[in-house]
Amino acid sequence: MDTWRGLLKDKVIEMVSITIKNLTKKYGNTIANKDLNLQIKDKEFFVFLGPSGCGKTTTLFAIAGLIKTDAGEIWIGDELVTSAEKGIHKPPQEREIAMVFQDYAIYPHMTVFDNIAFPLQIRNTDKHEIEQRVKKTAELLGISQLLDRKPKQLSGGQRQRVALGRAMVRKPKVFLMDEPLANLDAKLRVQTRTELKKLQLDLGVTTIYVTHDQVEAMTMADRIMVQKDGVVEQIGSPDELYNHPSNLFVAGFVGSPEMNFIDCTLVEERKELYLDAKEFKISLPAKMSSELKSYIGTEIIMGIRPEDLHESKSAEGTTQENAIRMTLDLIEPVGPYLLLHLKAGRIPLVATVKDTKAKTGQEVIMEIDSSKIHIFDKKTTKAII
Amino acid sequence: MFLLPLWTDITTSFKSLQDVIYTVPIELPRSPTIEPLIAAFNIMERPLVNSLTFTLAATVLSCLLGSINGYALTKIRFRGSNTMFLLFSIGIFLPYQAVLVPLVLTMSRLGLYNTIAGLILVHTTYGITITTLLFRNFYGLIPDSLIMAAKTDGAGTWTIYRRIILPLSLLPFVVAAVLQFTSIWNDFLFGVVLARGSEAMPASVALANLKGTTEFNWNVQMAGALWYALPILIIYLVLGKYLIRGYMAGAIKG
Repeated sequence: MDTWRGLLKDKVIEMVSITIKNLTKKYGNTIANKDLNLQIKDKEFFVFLGPSGCGKTTTLFAIAGLIKTDAGEIWIGDELVTSAEKGIHKPPQEREIAMVFQDYAIYPHMTVFDNIAFPLQIRNTDKHEIEQRVKKTAELLGISQLLDRKPKQLSGGQRQRVALGRAMVRKPKVFLMDEPLANLDAKLRVQTRTELKKLQLDLGVTTIYVTHDQVEAMTMADRIMVQKDGVVEQIGSPDELYNHPSNLFVAGFVGSPEMNFIDCTLVEERKELYLDAKEFKISLPAKMSSELKSYIGTEIIMGIRPEDLHESKSAEGTTQENAIRMTLDLIEPVGPYLLLHLKAGRIPLVATVKDTKAKTGQEVIMEIDSSKIHIFDKKTTKAII
Repeated sequence: MFLLPLWTDITTSFKSLQDVIYTVPIELPRSPTIEPLIAAFNIMERPLVNSLTFTLAATVLSCLLGSINGYALTKIRFRGSNTMFLLFSIGIFLPYQAVLVPLVLTMSRLGLYNTIAGLILVHTTYGITITTLLFRNFYGLIPDSLIMAAKTDGAGTWTIYRRIILPLSLLPFVVAAVLQFTSIWNDFLFGVVLARGSEAMPASVALANLKGTTEFNWNVQMAGALWYALPILIIYLVLGKYLIRGYMAGAIKG
């Protein structure tokens, strides 16, 4: 901790928020970003999450100044850096941002030392200071012994650290990271993920991180923006995204294994609301009724996370409410839990349980925790509950 | 077999005129002499210096400009860059003969007719078509993220060229330089048309002039050819290994 502060001690503490107003970017007829509005807070770890080609990297490049936008404004701190309308486009080198790329983009002809020193050399920093800062950065990243090597002689993880070092060494206002862990092997990725998060906390630099990996996003982010086809699906904390997804896409994209989706009709019987999935019926808690009133009789989509399906303790559970008889198709032992592939009639479902005595092919009785049910409008795919 | 002409050239260069007449061309000289070499050198000295001057200058210039063009065409995308590249490529297929008349007129109007500067200009202009193509293809292999990283690190367009692009360009520079040096050195047509006078005459033209109108001094001619071939030989010996690496670089990286 102290060492990080040491590295930053001569930095004037400055509030760096990022504001994006009505940002639009087109590539020919393809819209990469449509009318994006976003406010990233000072010191925040903000993640752009979405499948490839959803416009998240475009947004990042626009903030970096690497591409010009078709409409809208970008503010870094209280400085307007991009405005298509006012014809303002600050080049990347004047934005005081540092970027880490997916392929690391370290300069192959320079040693590790020169790679990290490059941003300082360009700014004509004093030689003695360059040496001090590069050495300190390398020490903190654990790559001091590699300073004389060429990138060719480094492993993927080491290259990644060099790229990080190059970004950190000059104390930028903002870190921009474009899938920096995507090229690492699984084990190293998890390890680096933790280190990166700690590093960001210690440095306290506003960070924007692009990824298509929802686990990375959930574990690292303060807030996440989920994007699809250039449109923002939801902005929120990992907790909000997981427990209160605002539409079908976010519900399906966040969380692993994926949420179960079942087509149902909402019916009212004896003043109680039920979800009728043909193969089974689920009664809904009374507190949901006010939101659902206008949907009675219409088709909706029910969503239930695999961990909200429990195996019924008693064999007589069939009489219990929301207990459903299902066939166990397959058991996948993941380690901390078992993944059950089930079928209720023709409806496939996935559940995660700690333990089960049931064998493949047998019948099991599963209870659905109705308070954890998500309900989506089938037409608009928006969440009702 | 393919070395026979070279062999003949070497043997004949060391023969007296008598030997040339009384021996078979591939035979070793009976009384070796270096007189033909000296005689040829005396005539060829000035043209060789001329050739060396404009060939080196045009090679360096066309490689440097080709490199900058290649960088601009691949890494600084601008409106019309593809059209521009197409125009450059067409230049490669433009035959020398097709431009001779306007070329001579232009050069004489510019006051560059019969000058070394004129030859440098012409060869550089013709050279950048092929060097641009060469460098553009090589730079296409350099990932864009490297350029973007340099930009966010704070480097401007020229700093990126100087600090990132140029140091990575050793191989295409060698390939382009050898290519340019050989083709400019070997050029006869532009030389004979644009520099007939002795002050700018290239070695290729001087070599052709060694052939007299009435007598045939085979040995002097052969010796002249030997002098003429020497620089190319040196270039290949020195840069050969880079050249092979350069040819292979594309194959491996691509």
